[in-house]
Amino acid sequence: MNLDFEELMEEAYDLPRGKAQIAVLEQAIRAADTAGDLEAGFEARSELVESAIFSGYPMKAIVAFSWQLGQYDKNNDLFDNYQLLWSYKWILDKVACFPDIPREQIDNLLDDMKKRYAELGYSERTYCFYKAVLLMQYGELEEAGRYLDQFQSLDRDEMSDCEACEQNRLIDYEVLLGRDERTLRVAEPILSGQMSCGEVPHVTLSTVLMPLYRLGRQEEADKLQRKSYRLVKGNNDFLLQIGENIRYLALTDPFRGLELFEKHLSQALDHENPWDQMMFSAYASTLFSRLKQETVAFQVKLPASFPHPEFASDVVRLEQHFLQEALATADRLDRRNGNSYYGSLIQSL
Amino acid sequence: MKDTYRFQVNLSGMINILANHLYSNPRVYLRELLQNAVDAVTARNELEEGYQGQITVELSGMGSTATMTMEDNGIGLNEEEVHQFLAMIGQSSKRGGEDFISRETSFIGRFGIGLLSCFMVSDEIVMITQSAKGGPALEWRGQPDGTYTIRKLENALSPGTKVYLRCKPGSEIYFGEQNLAKWLYDYGALLPYPISLHSGSSSRKINGTRPVWIAYPELARDRKEEVLHLGEQLLGERFHDFIPLHTASGRTGGIAYILPQAVNLNAKKTHRVYLKHMLVSEKAENILPDWAFFVKCIVWTDELQPTASREHFYENEKLEEVREELGEAIRSELMRMADYDQSRLRQIIGQHALSIKALAVEDENFYRMIYRWLPFESTFGRKELGELLKERSTIFYTLTLDEYRQITHVAAAQFMLVVNGGYIYDSELLALLPQICPEAESKRLQPEDISFSFTDITADERRQYYENTRTADAALQRFRCQIQLKRFKPSELPALYTLSKESADLRSLEAAKEVSTDALSSVLNSLGSSFQAAAYSTLYFNLDNPVVARVFSGDPAMLPAAVEMLYVNALMMGHYPMSRQELAVLNEGIIRFIEWGYAAGNTQDGGNGQ
Repeated sequence: MNLDFEELMEEAYDLPRGKAQIAVLEQAIRAADTAGDLEAGFEARSELVESAIFSGYPMKAIVAFSWQLGQYDKNNDLFDNYQLLWSYKWILDKVACFPDIPREQIDNLLDDMKKRYAELGYSERTYCFYKAVLLMQYGELEEAGRYLDQFQSLDRDEMSDCEACEQNRLIDYEVLLGRDERTLRVAEPILSGQMSCGEVPHVTLSTVLMPLYRLGRQEEADKLQRKSYRLVKGNNDFLLQIGENIRYLALTDPFRGLELFEKHLSQALDHENPWDQMMFSAYASTLFSRLKQETVAFQVKLPASFPHPEFASDVVRLEQHFLQEALATADRLDRRNGNSYYGSLIQSL
Repeated sequence: MKDTYRFQVNLSGMINILANHLYSNPRVYLRELLQNAVDAVTARNELEEGYQGQITVELSGMGSTATMTMEDNGIGLNEEEVHQFLAMIGQSSKRGGEDFISRETSFIGRFGIGLLSCFMVSDEIVMITQSAKGGPALEWRGQPDGTYTIRKLENALSPGTKVYLRCKPGSEIYFGEQNLAKWLYDYGALLPYPISLHSGSSSRKINGTRPVWIAYPELARDRKEEVLHLGEQLLGERFHDFIPLHTASGRTGGIAYILPQAVNLNAKKTHRVYLKHMLVSEKAENILPDWAFFVKCIVWTDELQPTASREHFYENEKLEEVREELGEAIRSELMRMADYDQSRLRQIIGQHALSIKALAVEDENFYRMIYRWLPFESTFGRKELGELLKERSTIFYTLTLDEYRQITHVAAAQFMLVVNGGYIYDSELLALLPQICPEAESKRLQPEDISFSFTDITADERRQYYENTRTADAALQRFRCQIQLKRFKPSELPALYTLSKESADLRSLEAAKEVSTDALSSVLNSLGSSFQAAAYSTLYFNLDNPVVARVFSGDPAMLPAAVEMLYVNALMMGHYPMSRQELAVLNEGIIRFIEWGYAAGNTQDGGNGQ
């Protein structure tokens, strides 16, 4: 096909995942679409979906994936379905983060994935796993637990997430239930390095900081915090983990926490994932709630995109601001989910 | 009563696994032998302070009859040690019951397991050894099926160990003289005692005298030629510049050679790391911070733990510390250059801007020191930030390449300075600029902002064009596009289509909705509702353009069709793929204008005929 497309794809393959690569891929997609070349458009979108999912642009991933799945249904002899159906999981993992998407639509998607997997002979295991993941996101933990049990009783197949990723969700579940000792037990294979992958332990380390802290094991937690931050600081996808780092530092080293906050606020402000933004704001408000006990004259560095530059010297107003931000999203999520889970969660921090 | 049994391990299977899966290449047998020799010498050194080690390799025969021996004058083994070290896999060569990998000792080898790697190239291993602690000399013969014999020799030998290997069919290249010389150099170039290689009548020294700057990397600065020469020999590349590396403890040092050509961000990193003088890895990726991809290093250390294959290092806290410190050495050298050696720094930035920007994004202080020399693409050309700031104290930048492309033409015509922030790190750096350089301001420019530099139409013109402007606006309503009538340069440009990142996102969302499945289309619909408000695109009509002037002053009946055609024309100029609706406009428009063209022609013909 046209030279433009090939050149752009080559350029994209040379770039690491992230914003710049996505920009080039979007250009390639435009070139393919303008030329009406479905296969090229599909190829570029496959790359885009992966890059966007793993660098914190879930909206872009959902849009590109929607195009792919629609085209696949119309011309399924043209495209390979394995990668496409694999990426369906990534999409399901992200849709519930957007409060504007009603629950019914999310559940429809999950059922659609279940049907497609079944048609190709894949087991129900992946469905059960993502059902649990979604239930955890809705705050329906008891029901999530039942699906986690069911998922663990089934055999792995080619659509299963890697073991490290699965283990990580089991840790998340213990964290949500607030079972600190069990959290650490379940986290052991990851913390010891036996299980790892492209995303693990990056996404794991920050989740065990608070459990360790509550169990009085601050020295271990401090070490893991530094390691965690080193792993997550460079990737836009890890905003939540940055937030968890800030949350922990708010208790142990609040001025270091403030440094992290200043460094990552602009990333949070124009992030695509509202759920991650909410958690970042919530953790930021715990930081300022801690900092307001200090007597120093604050001059917090705020990026130009922050709407209230006048709050720079006023940590009390910053605390309020971020709490309000977090609660606003929590309220929308709770209305969508039909409970008051996130509102209470954030108030309890 | 209960019996306890032991698991039995099938050794030939185990050897197969080691040979085929643990090591990346059979030539590592040489490294393992060398390592055993080094360990033996180190152990002897502990016994006799200042003992001078020596390793001799001899090659006889050619091709499939080749035999190789490696001899050291180290501590040797007695019978008990032979059984213990050579026959117990998983046991470290030297005392203690701890896990053989995690323990830190002054030895690098794991004698038994290392020796087994020789089965990759030889069907039998023969070893003659004499312990420095006395006892008879021993001859050990090992077979790949896992059996071995030991014979006591009658005469005592001088202490040391000699290993004999005979080339196994297919392994000839691992016994070639040139290869041996090269690999021995690779593995042992930094050893503090001599390795020599003899073959027939020829004999050569593998490693030269150990340069003094290995122990004191700072001294490397005064031995530039020597350092560059070693780089060329070890890394196979001619470098022109380097930065000495060392950690505070002095246990890790090295040379970071600056790559003479720009490298890809994703390029595999191939640093060479020597552990206790021996080459451990030729492709250590994790020894330097991610941003430091503009250098290739030789690093020597005695404090890191190699992985089981001894080709990489464990990602542990120690490694993290070392990585930070080595990164800091590079960073502070660059900072020093910013003060004292700017031309050298500018040369590095010119070659490796991306790497330097990666560091600047992470490190404000560094950014403050070097921002002047960072190159950016702008409507004034590709220039250093310092030069751009001399032109304007406010830097406008776009967030994406797309936004930049939309306005670059027009911005250049208005002499506006706009920087393309679409390249990796650029918009982040520009957003940070005011924090590190208080005199400078930076602002994100959205495509619609460019209109601030356009000339507004006059009050009279506004009145004159009021109705037509409304009609035109209504015509594009269904494309979520609003219109503005302005005057701007260049006058050849009839219209400028601008789409902010937000509306570009909505545009591709709408396009995906058109083709997607029902379940996903409804999801996209819900998603789209969240950014409706911001998502209008704008089409600026240029009243300085004669066609536009005519369209807006002409027949109001033709106006909507003409505006629609100018709209799709602007889309095509901007390389935007068109939706079904837009394609339909294009098709109908072409037909309609052809008709109008002929109709107008006929009227004219008719007129002429009369």
